[in-house]
Amino acid sequence: MTPQTAALLEPFEAVCADPYATARAAADGGRKVAGYLCTYSPEELLHAAGCLPVRIFGYSDGTQRADGLLQAYACSLARAALDLALSGQLDFLSLTVFPHTCDTVQNLADVWRRNVRGGLHVTLATPVNVESDHAVRFYRAELERVRDLLAAVNGPIGDDDLAASIALHNKHRAAMRRLYAARRANPGVLSGRDLLTVVLSSFLMPKEDHLGLLLELDSALESAPAAPAPSPKVFVAGALCQNADYIGAIEDAGCVVVDDDLCTGSRAFAVEEQACDDPLEALARMYLSRRPCASKHRPAYSFGRDVLSRARQAQADGVIFLFTKFCDPWAFDYPDMRKALEEAGVPSLLVEIEQHVAPAAQFHTRVAAFAEMVEALHGGANERATS
Amino acid sequence: MSGERVPIKTAQKLVQLMMEYYMGAKAAESTDRKIAWITSGAPVELLHAAGVIPIYPENYGALCGAQKTAVELCEVAESHGFSRDICSYARTGFGSMLSEGGPMGGLPKPDFLLCCNNICGTVTKWYQVLQRYYDVPLLYLDAPFLHGEATPEAIEYVRAQIVDLIDQIGGITGTPIEQDELYERLQLAAKAIFIWGDLLDLMAHKPAPMNSFDTFIHIAPIVVMRGEQRCIDYYEALTAEMKERVASGVAAVPGEQFRLGWDNLPVWFRMGALSKRFAQHKACLAAATYASAWAQPIDPDADDMLREMARSYLTVYINCGLEQRVQTLRRMADKFFLDGLVLHSDRSCKAYSLGQYELARTLRDEMDFPVLVLEADMNDSRVYADEQIKSRIDAFMEMLAARKA
Repeated sequence: MTPQTAALLEPFEAVCADPYATARAAADGGRKVAGYLCTYSPEELLHAAGCLPVRIFGYSDGTQRADGLLQAYACSLARAALDLALSGQLDFLSLTVFPHTCDTVQNLADVWRRNVRGGLHVTLATPVNVESDHAVRFYRAELERVRDLLAAVNGPIGDDDLAASIALHNKHRAAMRRLYAARRANPGVLSGRDLLTVVLSSFLMPKEDHLGLLLELDSALESAPAAPAPSPKVFVAGALCQNADYIGAIEDAGCVVVDDDLCTGSRAFAVEEQACDDPLEALARMYLSRRPCASKHRPAYSFGRDVLSRARQAQADGVIFLFTKFCDPWAFDYPDMRKALEEAGVPSLLVEIEQHVAPAAQFHTRVAAFAEMVEALHGGANERATS
Repeated sequence: MSGERVPIKTAQKLVQLMMEYYMGAKAAESTDRKIAWITSGAPVELLHAAGVIPIYPENYGALCGAQKTAVELCEVAESHGFSRDICSYARTGFGSMLSEGGPMGGLPKPDFLLCCNNICGTVTKWYQVLQRYYDVPLLYLDAPFLHGEATPEAIEYVRAQIVDLIDQIGGITGTPIEQDELYERLQLAAKAIFIWGDLLDLMAHKPAPMNSFDTFIHIAPIVVMRGEQRCIDYYEALTAEMKERVASGVAAVPGEQFRLGWDNLPVWFRMGALSKRFAQHKACLAAATYASAWAQPIDPDADDMLREMARSYLTVYINCGLEQRVQTLRRMADKFFLDGLVLHSDRSCKAYSLGQYELARTLRDEMDFPVLVLEADMNDSRVYADEQIKSRIDAFMEMLAARKA
C-alpha cells in the first residue's frame, strides 16, 4: 500500500476505531440521529427527514444484559446489539428503525421497543416476496406511512428532499461499486481488511462526508499501478461481518479477499437506480430489486448459482463462508451453495462466527489449513498448465 | 373428584381418519390427481376447491417426532450440510426427503408447493429447498408480520395475492377454481374452525374434560382437513363426547387442582412423560396458544370473502407482535381460570420463542402471574434435559401450591 493510500484510509479507520463517536458528536451538536438495524432500512428516508442514519451493530463486549431477554439461540447480532442498547451506549439515538427480515429480528424489534428507553420506534414491513407488483404497491404504502411518522422528527418530508437524498445515496453506492471493481482488477492495491473498514465506516458517518473521502480513494486506486497480490484469492460470503479482524485473519493466513457477498459488503451496495417520478415508488423498487438477503424470497434466484458466478467473476480460488451462528435464513441456503461450488471444483470452508467476538485461535488455524490446501490445489493447476 | 384417567373414545376414529388421509394421498401419487405440499398456516381451502390433495410436512414432522424417528432423520439432513440449529421439523422433513425414508416410506411427492409465511420466515427457506429439490412450482403467499393492527394495505396485499393464487392453482390443475366451490369450502372451513373453537372452550369447565396434551393429538384434522366435511363430522363427534364428560363431571386429569396454559409447539417426543408429570401434580393444561391458533375465526357471512380470508390468515397469533401476544395470554388466563403458564422455549422455533422471556417478564412482574419457561425442542430430543425439566416442573408446581395455600 502506498503512503498516499494509507493517508486516504486514515479517516475511515478513525471512525471505525470508535464506531458511535461520530454519531454521538452529531447528536450532541443537535442533529437527530436515527439508528437502523439492517440494510433493508431506507437510509434515504431517514436522511431526507434531516436525521443522521447510523447502522446498529453488535459492538458490545458481551451479552449479559440481553441474555435475560433473548434466548441463547438468537444470533449474536441480535443479542449483542440489544446488549449495547441496554448498556446505554445508544442513548443518543432519537429514533430506531427495524425493517422486517427474519424471525429473530421481528421479535427483537418488539423486545427492543419494550425495554430500550426513549425515542421513536419504527417497524417497517418490508415484503418478503420481493418480486411482485403487489409487493411494490404494499411497500410503497408502508414507506409512505413511515415518511409520515418521521414528520414528527423535523417536520414533513417533501418529494424534492427525498429525491435529493436518493440521488446522494445512489452516488454513494455507485462509488462503493467502483471501489469493489478497482480491487477486483487490482487486488493488491488495498487489503480486504481495509475495504471492510471503508464499508463499515459508511454506515457510521454522514454519507456526504463518506462520499467525498471515497471518491478520492476511488481515483487513487484506479490510477495506481498493478500491485502484487498474495495468493490464494478468496471470496467471502455470509450474512454480515461487523469486525474487520475476521477479514484481517483470513489475509494474515496468506490469502487476499477479492470480493464478498456480505450485508456489510457488496450486497449493501447492489441497489440499482430506478427511473421513477414518484420518489417513494422509486425507493420501493430499489429495495425490492436489490441483491436479496437470505431472509427474502425471490422466485428464480439461487444463492448457490450466484455465489459461484460471483466467485468466478472475481477469479477467486476458494470461498470462505462466515456463518453467523443461529442465522437460520442463511443456514438453509448453505448446503445449496456448497454443492454448487463443489460441482464446479471450487473449494470452500465454513466457519462459525459470533459477531461480537474477535476471531478465536481455532478460526486462524482452520483458515490457515484452508489457505494451504487451496494454494496446493492452485499451485498444482499452475504446474499442469505450464508443463 | 378423583379416579382413573378415562381414555377418549373418539380417538379411535382419529387414527382411522388420519390413516385414510395418508393412504389416500399415497394412492394418489400415481394418478392424475395433483398433490401440493402446504404450510400449516396457508389457505388450504384453495387446494380443496381445486381438488388438490394437501400434504403437510409440518404434520409429518410432528408424526416423526411422536414416533421418535425424528432424530435419525435430522441426522441425515445434518450430514448433507444443514445446521443442527435450524428448525427440527425442516431437518426431519429433509432427512426423509434425502433418504426417501421415514414413517410410511416418506410423503407422496408434490406436484407443487404452497407456502405462507404467516407462521414464520423459516417456511420460506424450507420451501425454497423443497422447490430446488423437487423442481416443482412454488406458490408463495406473503403475509406481513404485524407489530400492531393490520393496516388496510396489508390486508389488501394478502387479498391480491390470494386472487393470484386462485389463477395459479387453476393453471396447474388445468381447471379454473370455481368461485362457488371456493365459497363452499370456506363455509366448511369456517364451520370446522367454529366447532374446534367451541370444543376448546369446553376446557374452561372445572374440571376440564380434555387436556391440551389431548388437543395436540386431536388437532390434526383441523390442520389438514379444514374445508372438508369429514373434519366437521370428526369434531362434532369429539364435542359430543366432551359435552358428556362435562355433564357427568369427568376430568381429563383426575382430581384436577391446578389449571395451566401452554405456549408454543408441543414437545412431541415427550408428550407422555410431560403429561404424566403434570398429572402427578394434579395439573391440567387447560389451554394452549398452539391449539387455539387453528380456532382463528373466518366470518362466513362477510361481504368480501377473499378479504375476510386475507384478514383471517394475516392475523394469526404467531404473526402478531408481543403486545397482542401479552393480551392473548392474559385473556386466555382469565377465560380458562389458569393458575399459571408454561412457556415452551422451543429452540427450533425462533418465531414463536424469541420474545417469550419478555412475555414471561411482563406476566410475572406487571401482572403477578406465575410463569414457567422450559427450554426444549419440538422434535430434537438430543437437546432435551429430562432431569432438569422434571425438577423445574416440580419446583413450579410447589410454588403454585404455596400460592394457593
